[in-house]
Amino acid sequence: MAFPLPRGVTVSEIAFLAEMETVTVVPRQRLEGLELLGGPVEPLAPPRRASLPLWLALLLKRQRRANIIPPAWLHPEPLSLILDVESQHQDYQNAFSPPPPLPGQPSVLDRNATASAKPQYTPDGDRYYPAPPFLPHNTAQTTSSRDTPSLPFHWVEVGNLLLESASDDLVEPDQIRRLLKDLREVRMSKMRSGVDVLDEAATGGGGVALTGVGSMELGEERGFITGVVDGLRKIGASKEQARREQMAEQRAAGGYNGTQEEEEEDYMEF
Amino acid sequence: MDIDDILASVDHGPGASPESTALDHQLLTRFWVAERAVSEVLPWPAPLMERMMDRVRNQIETIEDLAASSGDATVPHTHNPNLNLRLSILQTDLARTQYLIRSLLRARLAKVTKYSMHYLVRLASRDKNPSQTQSTLSSQNPNQQPEDSVPDIASLTDLAPLSEPEASFLHAHQTLLAGHYGGSFMGAFPRQLRRLDDNAGGTSMVQGPDLREVVFVRCLGAEVPVLLEEDDDDVGVTMRMGDVWVVRWEGVKKAWARGEVELL
Repeated sequence: MAFPLPRGVTVSEIAFLAEMETVTVVPRQRLEGLELLGGPVEPLAPPRRASLPLWLALLLKRQRRANIIPPAWLHPEPLSLILDVESQHQDYQNAFSPPPPLPGQPSVLDRNATASAKPQYTPDGDRYYPAPPFLPHNTAQTTSSRDTPSLPFHWVEVGNLLLESASDDLVEPDQIRRLLKDLREVRMSKMRSGVDVLDEAATGGGGVALTGVGSMELGEERGFITGVVDGLRKIGASKEQARREQMAEQRAAGGYNGTQEEEEEDYMEF
Repeated sequence: MDIDDILASVDHGPGASPESTALDHQLLTRFWVAERAVSEVLPWPAPLMERMMDRVRNQIETIEDLAASSGDATVPHTHNPNLNLRLSILQTDLARTQYLIRSLLRARLAKVTKYSMHYLVRLASRDKNPSQTQSTLSSQNPNQQPEDSVPDIASLTDLAPLSEPEASFLHAHQTLLAGHYGGSFMGAFPRQLRRLDDNAGGTSMVQGPDLREVVFVRCLGAEVPVLLEEDDDDVGVTMRMGDVWVVRWEGVKKAWARGEVELL
């Protein structure tokens, strides 16, 4: 057996990915810059702050060679604010609080602004849009201070790793631990209550939005969600086949465009 | 310098800068997650993997040189107190990259062996001028063996989605397997039942990956519609930038190839 793991990154692989997040550190000793396979690392010169990948920051922290400055969201105030939004806010009764925006994505505050994704180009000439863990969502200063606090994609992993290895660098670690636990529970119950709508993802062209979900939360529920949706899809397979044939017939007869057909079909089912 | 600066330094268009290490690392990581998330074998990113393998080779040399200089007892260690720290950082970084590459290759091998006949048939169907195809010969062949149904792909140049070593592994693996089946039980069957790609009765016995399985994606482009079928123009829901959706793989496969969605 070449590879025993199931489809989709597992929980330990997600933890591995989370260690690629960038955090801010205050070094306690000098270290010249290094050319790593994950990209160059800037020279460390105390007391100047530096941005390092989390795995390297933790390696230095465990050897007492650096202090980690907690990410902007990993403080009691922003966390309790997010917890309020998650548990009280009307708009987010059944949804997760909005994640930090991607570069070029308008924040939730100005809804009218249009998204303008600015791609970078890979050496092979393909378009590349950066995404977590390669965005500065866990540095001491987030990209813009006017944004409301939000949980980054790898919030569970980064939070737990920092609580575990760098709790002395955090502000009121006990309260942060409690808040993280509350957030976990609120969001977990949302995830479970969302099972009802999974049927949407079982039809072709349909889908279920999980915007704002954390990587670890996805990893934990992946097996369940894919299992349920694939089961529903198999149950509905013959119905879908019939619908497709009907659409093909209508197209052969001519007259309708795709969207009209779809709407009409929805009525015809009743 | 933060990650944006690193990225900006490589953002000069195709292949302009040798400083693309950070970007390639991100591409490799994203491709690894994608490969782990779907059940079909994704197109082999040959240029990216060549660059990564070159870098790994160079990095191993760098580490060996450093280790040799630290092991040298005649040189006092005082001139560089950080040598051991640097070595351990470089080695950790190397191990992380090697883990990514190893996991990626093994995940692909597992898929290739699981759906071996599917990929062989798919590759062979691309052969423009098949040399004495088995289909014409084998029906009359009185000594039909399971091995005969393994297509010959030695003359193919277009091996997508596989890499060259993967394709030759696939062929060797399937030939061995067919020989084993023949020796252990298929030899006892009537000869018309000995093929491994039988599709009698309209049901193909070659199993392929299920493209209708759901995947988790993040929308990276401004707006990405989910297609009803892979080669269809009918669109279903529309994802907006930053959204995370549970959708069918076949509906977002093309958008993934354009880099507008990311598998999670």
